Amino acid sequence: MAKFFGVDKVVRFFQIVRDNGGIRGSLRALYRRDELKSGTLIGEDKYGNRYFENNMHFYGRNRWVEYADHVGLDYNASQVPPEWFGWLHYKTDLPPYKDPSRPNYKWMLDHTENMTGTRDAYMPYSTTRPKIEAWKPK
Amino acid sequence: MLRLPLIRAAGLSGCRLGATGLHTTASKLQAPPEQIEVFIDDIPVLVDPGTTVLQAAAKIGVEIPRFCYHERLAVAGNCRMCLVEIEKQIKPVAACAMPVMKGWRVKTNSDLTRKAREGVMEFLLVNHPLDCPICDQGGECDLQDQSMAFGNDRSRFVDINFSGKRAVEDKDVGPLIKTVMTRCIHCTRCIRFASEVAGVDDLGTTGRGSDMQVGTYVEKMFLSELSGNVIDLCPVGALTSKPYAFVARPWETRRTDSIDVLDAVGSNIVVSTRSGEVLRVLPRLNEEINEEWLSDKSRFACDGLKRQRLLTPMMKVDSKLQPVEWEDALVAASRALQQAPATKIAAVTGKLADAEALISLKDLFNKLGSETLATEQPFPKDGAGIDLRSSYIMNNKIAGIEEADVVVLIGTNPRFEAPLVNTRLRKSYLHREQTIALIGPEVDLTYEYEHLGDSAEVISQLKNGTHPFCATLKNAKAPLIILGAEQLGRSDGSKILAETQALAASLGKTVQAPENWKVLNVLHSNASQVAALDLGYGSSLAEIKAQNPQVLFLLGADDADIKREDFPNTFIIYLGSHGDQGACIADVVLPGAAYTEKNASYVNTEGRAQQTGTAVNPPGMARPDWKIIRALSEFIGVRLPYDTIHDVRGRLEQVAPHLVRYGDIEPANYFAQALELAKKTGSFASDPLELKQKTLDEFFMTDVVSRASPTMAKCVQAVIKQRQAQL
Amino acid sequence: MNLTSNRVIRVLLLKNCSLSKALKNVRGVQSSAGRLSDHLFVHRDSEENNPNTPFEFNEANKKRVEAILAIYPEGHKRGAMMPLLDLAQRQLGWLPISAMHKVAEILKLPNMRVYEVATFYTMFNRQPVGKYHVQVCTCTPCWLRGSDEILQAVTKAANCAVGHTSADKLFTVIEVECLGACANAPMLQVNDDYYEDLTAETTEKIINALKNGQDKPPPGPQVSSRFAAEPAGQLTTLTSPPPGPGFKIRSDL
Repeated sequence: MAKFFGVDKVVRFFQIVRDNGGIRGSLRALYRRDELKSGTLIGEDKYGNRYFENNMHFYGRNRWVEYADHVGLDYNASQVPPEWFGWLHYKTDLPPYKDPSRPNYKWMLDHTENMTGTRDAYMPYSTTRPKIEAWKPK
Repeated sequence: MLRLPLIRAAGLSGCRLGATGLHTTASKLQAPPEQIEVFIDDIPVLVDPGTTVLQAAAKIGVEIPRFCYHERLAVAGNCRMCLVEIEKQIKPVAACAMPVMKGWRVKTNSDLTRKAREGVMEFLLVNHPLDCPICDQGGECDLQDQSMAFGNDRSRFVDINFSGKRAVEDKDVGPLIKTVMTRCIHCTRCIRFASEVAGVDDLGTTGRGSDMQVGTYVEKMFLSELSGNVIDLCPVGALTSKPYAFVARPWETRRTDSIDVLDAVGSNIVVSTRSGEVLRVLPRLNEEINEEWLSDKSRFACDGLKRQRLLTPMMKVDSKLQPVEWEDALVAASRALQQAPATKIAAVTGKLADAEALISLKDLFNKLGSETLATEQPFPKDGAGIDLRSSYIMNNKIAGIEEADVVVLIGTNPRFEAPLVNTRLRKSYLHREQTIALIGPEVDLTYEYEHLGDSAEVISQLKNGTHPFCATLKNAKAPLIILGAEQLGRSDGSKILAETQALAASLGKTVQAPENWKVLNVLHSNASQVAALDLGYGSSLAEIKAQNPQVLFLLGADDADIKREDFPNTFIIYLGSHGDQGACIADVVLPGAAYTEKNASYVNTEGRAQQTGTAVNPPGMARPDWKIIRALSEFIGVRLPYDTIHDVRGRLEQVAPHLVRYGDIEPANYFAQALELAKKTGSFASDPLELKQKTLDEFFMTDVVSRASPTMAKCVQAVIKQRQAQL
Repeated sequence: MNLTSNRVIRVLLLKNCSLSKALKNVRGVQSSAGRLSDHLFVHRDSEENNPNTPFEFNEANKKRVEAILAIYPEGHKRGAMMPLLDLAQRQLGWLPISAMHKVAEILKLPNMRVYEVATFYTMFNRQPVGKYHVQVCTCTPCWLRGSDEILQAVTKAANCAVGHTSADKLFTVIEVECLGACANAPMLQVNDDYYEDLTAETTEKIINALKNGQDKPPPGPQVSSRFAAEPAGQLTTLTSPPPGPGFKIRSDL
């Protein structure tokens, strides 16, 4: 009955608002992510990104990441570390902490986000001799 | 050796036979001989008797293939590629060596001719390696082109598995020419060039038959100031450029017509570039200047354009030159110029400055109220000074040298100061019985000359008729005096100039020279000199030193004797392309463009204005010189009224209209007035005339570009090595 | 393993190079490799032959030089180059590079012009030769008449390989092309003398005579029946005395 009148949608809306921390929290979440979602917290990586799943949404939208709070609006997809990338993109359904087959070698580097456009961006340098040699004052 | 010694021997003994009967100079036109008619491929053509079949064919645009024939060299007739059929003659005839006869019918495309060519080509290819893919001549190879055009389309050569092809060991002929002698087809062009034009009889053929090889026989390098031309002459890849080896293919390069500025001849060149890099320099045909030759310095010093370059503006910070932004450098320079009183600023211009930069600098200084602008090489101010153009240019033109029958060289070594002027002298010496005399240190000019002494007094003796050589001069029909500009920088420079002018005037009176004949010629060695004098750079370095300026502006002045010790408290601004003497002592360095990087005007020693082309962009933050000066004027607050190169040329035209009439020579004819103004007093200094360039090793490194060039350094080493080996 | 692989390679080679290739490479004109000269046509400084090798015409030859130069008119003195080079070679037995320089100096020519001439003519010896320069003709007529045996006899008697100089510096033996004495084949030349109509024995005798420092054997045909190049047997023409005057003239004259 309630379903027929669409009351469940209203109920769910309030539930989502509640999950996001009330009206103020929801507004902040909307401001930051442009959408309001609630789901099961699957895990959190060491950078503070939290990963959610809600199978109510259709495939492709049912897993998402909420970036760490400290990055504010300055988030981008490369902040997702590779171990969570697979889960987020449906390569696997097992989150990293449940997956026994994840290799873990000591030479593996820590994840860094893409630094392009920042001061730490990788700048390749030429190994060939310059065509024009400059004069060096003595 | 090439000159018929009979006439020479007779000419040297007393009165010249040449003046009386044996004279072969075409100064007087004989009645034109009757022309004869021949038929080339049934097209009638009228030619002078003595014309070869090949020349007659060329007259109507029929190109006969050739390897050994070259217009500027003696006919050898040994490649046989130019065989043509002549009607009613049994055998095909070598067109390059056969003078035409009346009524001959030449068939340049008959079956017999084609078969003969194919046969010759086949024989040439039997011993020519198939290494076109690794050959530097590929793409500009006469043998490739002609085997495509005239050769057979299939090979009968099967001998490769048996006796193989002829192989010849390579020769070491110096740091400029790479030899792959197996590729040689024995056209002997290089040998003829060496002995006829360069005057260095080091090349020849040794052995005979299939053992014949072109080389030096002994281990000796082919060192000449013109050696690079054999690379252009070689129709195959036997002689190629060593610095250019495996660098580029001709179809990859972009070619820009330009002008050479490393000497004052103004040779026409083509600059080959690829992706912003000058790869090589080739000569461009100009009958009036360089014919089709180029001196080695002009050809090979181009790698100096890539080294020791000034790429950013620099400024002395903590008494050390540091790279800075343009604005900082210009502000510093302008502040120094603003603060100095007009009487305490001076400018010196170097060898490679272009007319645009010269006029901008002069305008800037004039706006600041100064007129102290000097050229590196001083020119005497006494008498007419630089006011009369006739006293500082080569009035009779370079091509005019060939017409002269007696040439007096005063204090100059044209072989190294202007190699392509020297080729003219040698040409006339060989073919026109020219008598050449030299006052100055005894040097090897590649031809025999009469050495009149090395004291400046000889000029006066010649003028007064007390010298034994006067007898020859008196009988001359077209005498010529070539005065080296280097001597005018001496303390008695004005006296030398005045005496030479007087000598020229006295000769001009006695001889019946051809019309418009000008006896007095000045040979410069600095490319910028004539333009600078035209624009009124009248000061001298000595004056500037005496003035003790607060600010000294060096426009590429690296060769003058300017030392920091002479200007201890002077703010020195250097504008130029290379880091050399000038940049070392400067407080502010402004990076300018080299001659391949700007469209600029230069005036050669004849007074012929020509322009260089922009082959590549100036490297780094460097900019064309005149733009820098224009920007500097804005910073100082005396804006120069031109924004484009056309505006600058407009200004040039206002000052000296001939500077923008490119390719033409404005004749100067105020000899009498110059003579009147010349100071009659003064005396010669006692020291003999001296030259900067006396031997070949002194020739290679004379300016910032060639001093920065590794190839030129190798040349100097090679010359010294060869000299020591022969001791 | 090794054997089988070798076999495989050989089979492959045979397949590739067999008939088809042989047929393809049938040569049109010549069937022997082009022969190049034994001599080097560039100069290499050696101990006995370098620009500092002392050479000066001796007094007698200096007079000859003047006489030779006098033949050629002023302006064409370079025509004397070959006589002078020959003179130098006769004085020394061979032509060191310093002698070429000397000739160039006398004629006021660039050295290269002298090198060109000296390398062109095969009779200028640019490398030292022995006291006796033995040139054995091995051209067709001499070869047909047995020059191979002559050459063998020479090398054996002189103890010197072809193209080399004997250890005692007495002989240099070379093979040469036709020396123009085909009527007296086989023959050899020792310095300026022709020894003709040779057999292995006479050859050996000549060489031994030279080796032992005896008198020079008389040059010319080495068979007693011949004086010069006349027929070896007897005269075949002009055997009768020449007819007198009036021979075959009309009787009424």
